[in-house]
Formats: sequence, structure tokens, C-alpha cells
Amino acid sequence: MSLFIQRMFDGLAEGSIYALLALALVVIFRSTGQLNFAQGEIGTLCAFFASTLTLSGLPVWLSILIAMAIGFLIAAFVERVVVRPIEDRNPGAVIVALIGVFLAVNQLSAMFWGVDARALPSLFPTGANDFFRIGGAAIRYERVGIIGVLIVVLLLLYLLFNKTKIGLAMRAVANNQESSNLVGIRVGNILILGWGLAGAIGALSAVMLAPSAALSGTLMLGPFLLASVAAVLGGLDSPVGAVVGGILIGLLKAILIGYVSFLSDMLFPVMLVVLLGVLIFRPSGLFGTEKVVRV
Amino acid sequence: MSGNILEVAGLTAGYGQIEVLHGLDFTVANGEIVVILGANGAGKTTTMRAISGMIGRTGSVRFDGNDISTARPDAVLRAGISQVPQGRGTFTDLSVEDNLRAGAYTVKGSTVGDLDRWFEVFPRLLERRDQRAGSLSGGEQQMLAIARAMMNRPKMLLCDEPSLGLAPIITQNLFKILGELRDEMGMALLVVEQNAGLSLKLADRAYVLETGHIVATGTGDELLADDTIKQAYLGGVG
Repeated sequence: MSLFIQRMFDGLAEGSIYALLALALVVIFRSTGQLNFAQGEIGTLCAFFASTLTLSGLPVWLSILIAMAIGFLIAAFVERVVVRPIEDRNPGAVIVALIGVFLAVNQLSAMFWGVDARALPSLFPTGANDFFRIGGAAIRYERVGIIGVLIVVLLLLYLLFNKTKIGLAMRAVANNQESSNLVGIRVGNILILGWGLAGAIGALSAVMLAPSAALSGTLMLGPFLLASVAAVLGGLDSPVGAVVGGILIGLLKAILIGYVSFLSDMLFPVMLVVLLGVLIFRPSGLFGTEKVVRV
Repeated sequence: MSGNILEVAGLTAGYGQIEVLHGLDFTVANGEIVVILGANGAGKTTTMRAISGMIGRTGSVRFDGNDISTARPDAVLRAGISQVPQGRGTFTDLSVEDNLRAGAYTVKGSTVGDLDRWFEVFPRLLERRDQRAGSLSGGEQQMLAIARAMMNRPKMLLCDEPSLGLAPIITQNLFKILGELRDEMGMALLVVEQNAGLSLKLADRAYVLETGHIVATGTGDELLADDTIKQAYLGGVG
């Protein structure tokens, strides 16, 4: 029983990271209808920056904030310089361009940080005794911290989207760009902001993951695939769905690895089956809006 | 009530290489209701989009003493022109209240007073305040589109085919509301329509638009009495 609780907490924490990354994907998909293939790689690049900053003596929390700011700028840059000019001419080609960005960012981090794994200290205590017990299960503070970060991000996003004028504009642009223009919203600026926001959240997911994984060029490869499945499972246009999907995928992974050992090496094939199942039986996901066309 | 609030001269606009408007000249006086009558494809919506800065245009557009010939949509709004687009253009996924708040996007300071005021004018919208706008009926969405445009505190309202897709009785009610906006607030209105019967009764003056040219003009009553107009836009019933 205690092992089960422990595994569920591990799954929750890992799921929180997928949830953050899936949120980043959904924020962009809602406003532009694009799946940002470079999301994970931008996060990896930001984690490298954070690692270098902590090595130079900056406190971890400050390094993370700067890494998020860098994520914001890179993603905003990608929207303005890559996505928009191409989308105006051929929306279908954007996806190819984003795969290009994926490769470019991936190579860029290899160029500056090499291929050996780096270390990024955690924001939370990770010593041998930094845990508490629930029903005999050892729960590490770091796990709780990561779940806490997700909750804080959700709270801030809720306030942004529902209590501010900028958030209203972001929801309006996601719903109807033409009408947004007509009420005086500068749609281009809001799109840049949305991508930047997603870039910052994606960077946060990477710096949360890096301390317990190897910080190398492939840090976010697996998590990106899992977060994509999570986003589709939850509904690509639903932030709530992204979070629920992320948590579910995290728990599923923990259960698979913990209890179905013969499947633990086949994590991605299993996720592929999940993905196919969602696409066949519930294409709009658990919380996504079904597109109803009124005649 | 004297002088023109909107003066349009030599307005051309189109999409890409295709020119749709070939040099329009028209005016709207302070507190006047002007209707531009035209069939499908005449260039009605293009005229609206050209005035509000949604598409590129050449020629001169002066509003309330300001040159807005090259202004972007947000600058046109700040100058005091709001548009009710064709097909309502409501934010279907947003609540009724959020639609109205979005309408006040360029207004600085509190808009709570405006919100209360338009909920008073349109009690149906108050009842549905927290509902998704997409769940409203066509007539209710048209009310919402007008209220949203009014949230910007405009001096002039552009209405693009407000009667489209509405039952005649609802259109009548709608035109009554538009008339009241003018009578009670001195609002100038530019309405494009293909529904000649109702809109010409509402209009002080009207222009007839055909394939990007203005081909006739007169008071609403004059055009209603005109045989050619009757045949083209009233199906000869008159």
C-alpha cells in the first residue's frame, strides 16, 4: 500500500510536468491552431541557460525566472519571424517550419552546451532525508514542490484569462480573430503574447524536469511526445483538459512501470495506443469543444 | 445637427488584385441615418470593411474632423466608429458579458456604467449574462452585436446587413431599436442592406450601390417611390 501511494505521488509529480508542457501546447493551439513541435526543444534550451546561470552563482529561483523569460522571447520570436509570415501564405506549411525550428533549436543547444549531460539543481530540497511519510510511503518534498508549481501556474493563468483585459483579449482572439480586430484588439500583438506565454510555461516544465533527469539535448524529447498525447487526450483547445490529460498520463506511466513490468519498456507504443484510441473514439478529447457547424 | 460627420471621397478597395469599390463618394450628416442599398456582390461589406480599416483602401475618409483614410481598426474605433459586422460576429465561446467587455476594449477606465446601461436597454441580454453567446438565438445575437458595438461609446454606428437571417418581425424590432439610438442619442448610422422595404423607411437618405459604383441617391421616400428601385430591390411588389 505504501509503495502504491509513493508511486501515485511520483506519477502526480511527473504528470504535473506533462501538464505544464501540454498547457503550453494548448495555449498556442487555441489561438493559432498550430501544434508547436519546437515547444519541448525551446524548453531544453532554456534549461541549459538555467544550468549555466546557476553555475555562475545565481540563485536557482532567479535562474529559473530568467530561463522562463528567455523561453518567452524565443517563442515570441518564432511566432513573429517564422509562423506568421508563412501562415499568411500557406497555413499548412507552418507545421513543416515548426519541425525545422525543432531541429534548429536542438542543434543550437548541442553547439553551445555539447552532448554531455549537465546538472541543474532543483528549486526544492533533494537531500536523502528530504521527505515525509504518509501511511508509510516516503513522499519527497521535490515531488510536492513540482505539484505546487503546477497549482500556482494554474491559479495565475486563471487570473490572467478571467480577470484581466489582456486575458479577455487572448480569449477573444482564440475565438474569432476578425471580430477581435473589429473591437480594436491588435491581434498580432496578442498572438505574440500567447506564444511567449507558452514559451515561458514550456521552459518551466523543462527546469522542473531537468534536476531528476539528465539535462542533455534529448531532455524533452520523450516528455514532449507524452505531453502531446496528454493534450490530445484532454482536448487540444482545453487548458483544463491539458492538465487532466497530463496528470492521467503521469499516473498511467507510474502504474505501467510499477505494476506491468513487461510493458515498462514499451511505454511509447502504449501511449500510441492511447493516442489512437482517443482519436478514434473521442476526437475532441475529454474536455475539448466539439466543432458544431450551424447551417 | 448640422455638418457631415462622415465624408467619403474617391474610396477604392478590394482584395488582392481585384478592385471591388471603384471610387465611392458619400456623406453621413450628424445624427443622420444613411442606408446603402445593394444586391449580393455589390460591395456593401467591402465598403464597411474599408471604412473601419479592416482592408487596404485608397481615397479619402474623414470622420468628425479627422482624416482616417489610413487608420488601423483600433484607431478608427478610437475616433468614434463602431461596426456591427455581417453575421453578427459575436464571440460565440465567450459569455454575453465578456462579449460586451471585449466591445469596450479600446475604452480607458471603468465600463461598469456602460454595461449596466446596455443591459437595461436589452433586458434579454441581462437574463443571459453568463451564457455562451453561441447559445443565443439569431435575434439575440444581433442585439448583442449592437450592444457590443455601443460599448465603445461611438459617435457613429456601421451596420452590415443587420436583417440577414432574421424573421421579418425581429427585423422590424431591430430597426426600431436602431431608430431609437439616433432619436435618443443623436447617433449617426450607416446601414448597408439588401432589404429595401424596411431599410428605406428607416433611412433619412440612401445610396444605391451596384458593382462597386454608386448609381442612385435620394431620400428614403424618394427611392421607395422610384420604379427602377422597386423592381430591382422590392421584387416589383412596392
